[in-house]
This record gives sequence, C-alpha cells and structure tokens, in this order.
Amino acid sequence: MIKTSNLSKTFGKNEVLKGISTTIEHGEVVAVIGPSGSGKSTFLRCLNLLEQPTSGEIHINDINITAGKVDKLKIRKNIGMVFQHFHLFPHMTVLENVTYAPQKVKHLSKETANKLGKELLAKVGLTDKEDAYPNRLSGGQKQRVAIARALAMEPEIMLFDEPTSALDPEMVKEVLDVMKDLATTGMTMVIVTHEMNFAKEVADKVLFLDGGVLMEEGDPKEFFTQPKTNRAKDFLDKVL
Amino acid sequence: MNLDFTQIVPYIPFILKGIGATLQFVSISIVVGFILGTILAICKITKVPLLKWLADAYTSIFRGTPLILQLMIIYFAVPQLTGFDITAFVSAVLAFGLNSAAYVSEIIRAGIMAVDKGQTEAAEALGVPYKSMMLNIILPQAFKNILPALMNEFITLTKESAIVSTIGYLDLMRRAQIVGADIYRNFEPLLVAGLIYWVMVFILTKIGGLVERRMRQSD
Repeated sequence: MIKTSNLSKTFGKNEVLKGISTTIEHGEVVAVIGPSGSGKSTFLRCLNLLEQPTSGEIHINDINITAGKVDKLKIRKNIGMVFQHFHLFPHMTVLENVTYAPQKVKHLSKETANKLGKELLAKVGLTDKEDAYPNRLSGGQKQRVAIARALAMEPEIMLFDEPTSALDPEMVKEVLDVMKDLATTGMTMVIVTHEMNFAKEVADKVLFLDGGVLMEEGDPKEFFTQPKTNRAKDFLDKVL
Repeated sequence: MNLDFTQIVPYIPFILKGIGATLQFVSISIVVGFILGTILAICKITKVPLLKWLADAYTSIFRGTPLILQLMIIYFAVPQLTGFDITAFVSAVLAFGLNSAAYVSEIIRAGIMAVDKGQTEAAEALGVPYKSMMLNIILPQAFKNILPALMNEFITLTKESAIVSTIGYLDLMRRAQIVGADIYRNFEPLLVAGLIYWVMVFILTKIGGLVERRMRQSD
C-alpha cells in the first residue's frame, strides 16, 4: 500500500507538486493522467525517491520513506520502475540486463538469476533475443526488456513513467499487452500514461493531475464519462 | 652526406636494452596514472565538497607545472628534505604516474559526465549500490567513449618518457645520447632511438584499436 500525504516538490521556484494526498491499495492498478507539466512524472518519481519530496510524507506498507534516515536502496528493491526512454544498459546483453540487479542486489547465483531471467523474457515474448544487445532491438522490444528487468527484482510495486510515449505507434500494443498481463497478476501498478483507452480498460483507479494538484481521483468509467471538474472535462475533450 | 651506420652496430644491443627500461617504467606509470586518475575522477563528481576540492587542486598543480620540474623535485629535492635517497626508477614512476593521473582524471570525468543520466536512474531504481553502479554500469560506458582520448594520453606518456634521461635513468633516449657521445656521431643513434619510439607508439596504437573494436561489440 502506498499512501502520500500532502506530498510537495519544488524545483527552485517552480512548485511542481502542491500537496498530493492519495492512497493506492495493494494490487491496485492506478493510471495517473493529466496535461504535460502537471507533475505526473514527478509524482511517480517521488514514490521511489528518484526525486526527494520537498515536504509531505510517503508511506509504503506503513513505513515512512520520507523520514530522515531511510535506506533508499532497500526501499527501491521493492519498487520496480519502467522509464519512457527504457534506459537499458547498452553494454550488456538482454539477459545480462535482466539478471544484473538480482545478482548484485539480491545476491542470487548466476544460475538462479539466469533461470529467472529466461522465464521473464519468455513472459514478455523475447526468448530469442536474450543474447542480443539493446541497440539491436526495436523500441517495443526494448521496453519489454525494461519491464522484465524491473520484474526480475520481484518487486511488490511497479511504476511506469509514460512507458509507450517514445514508441512508434505500431509498437504500443505489444508493450500495453505485457502490462495488461501484469495487471491480472495482482501487481500494484502506478502508470503515468497518455493512453486513455488503456487507462479506461485496465486501471482500477484514475488520478487526474493538473498544475501539481490532484484534481480528481476515482473510478475510470465514471471519470471518463462524467468528469467532475471543468479542468478534467477540458482535458478529456482534447485527448479523446 | 656524412652518414655511417656501421659504427653504431656494436652499440645496438646497448640501445635495445633501453626499450625494456623505458617500457618498464612507462607501463607501471600508465597503470598508476590510470588507477589514481579514476579515483580522482570519482572524487570530482561526488557531492562531497572536500574530496572535490582536493581532486581539483591536485589536477591544477600537476597540470600547471612542467613535468620535468616535477621529476626533478621528486628525484633531487625529496632526498634533500627527507634524507632518503630515491632511485631514478621510482622517481620516474612517481613523476609520470602522478602527472598522468591529473590528465587521465579529466578525461574520465568527461567520460562519466557523457553517460546518459538515465543510466544512473535505472541503476538506482533497481536498488544497485553506488559502487556497483559505477564499476559495472557507468565506468564501462564511460571508458568506451573515452578510449581514443585515453590512448592519446598513453602515447604522449610513452614519448614524454624520454625526459627521464635528464635524471640519468638509462632509458632509450639516454642510451642514444651515450652512444652519440661515445662515437662522436649523433644522428645515427638518435635516428635509431626515434625509430624505436615510433614502433612502440605504432604497436600501442594497434593495441588501442583492438581494444576499441572489442568494446564496440555492443554497437
């Protein structure tokens, strides 16, 4: 369970998040949507402390991760993250990308890590690519490797930061399909996305951010058909 | 033209021994410079102000003064201060290693800065500790990018090594000078030494190309 209270983040004079309070239940799939610059990505990046919140609190499983002395590495072990631009390790093969962290961080043996890595690559449909280097892959394949890499740490929570925004249109589906599969396994997922149909179909809950404020949160069906705020209405008019 | 290579033929083995002498301290200096340079580069990019300041000061001093002066201070002045004699070999390794570290640290720092910030974030998000991240993810990518610059530094060091002749170390250069003084002919021994330096650098360049190709495997 993730609980944020009054979460704020300022970059210099720019107030990007203005007191976000919300709760994400265990196993919930949450889509974070909103116009660009609304603070969606910053919100997500605060959840695994890639950005240090300026004020407010984040509790994960009742542990306050924003309290002064916390072991960031320990927290991150339990939270996988997928980036817009993949950030695969270019000097490692696909399998090495997936097995590196389990070996380094969880101290799995090479055999165990390889076994796990191959299972995950099979799951994302890339068994035949395990010895390839990332720059031989298409965008969609790269993102699927990135998902497998994050899953290899067997996290409880997965964060997705616009996972399909850098992809060619014909590759969006293969990535979304992998994410749909993942959603059915009971993984807690927080997804910043511009794919409204995906959010409608897969998410249990939608967070609508605008100008660093959580304007609306609730059931996707309700949100997409009868948004409560004018801001959300405007936004949906533009994107749907 | 007054050229006669027959006279230096008996001296050839003497000159050739200089190759070993030069290579010995140059290779150790390269290793010293590389390791120390890497450590300095990491100090320069940390968030600890003191380490950063120390590394910057170090670079400023060793880049800001002539190498031959550093060599002379180590060989002639340190014994005066400490009372301990220092061999020409150790002086040479120290002077060249310490000096090279300053240049190497700047090259590596540039290499690290050029690695996409996303790599750090991806490693952090996976919970990879800083040291492993540096060793396994950032530095390998940095080294790949800076290999040509690094090779350049090693080549410069190999050639500049000739100034150890000024402290009497029997390297290639010093031997050529001794032979020249012996037979009253300078052109021939210097030409031979020059040729040997060129061959050494040529081989070094080839090795660099080989390493580069290996590292480009993932492209």
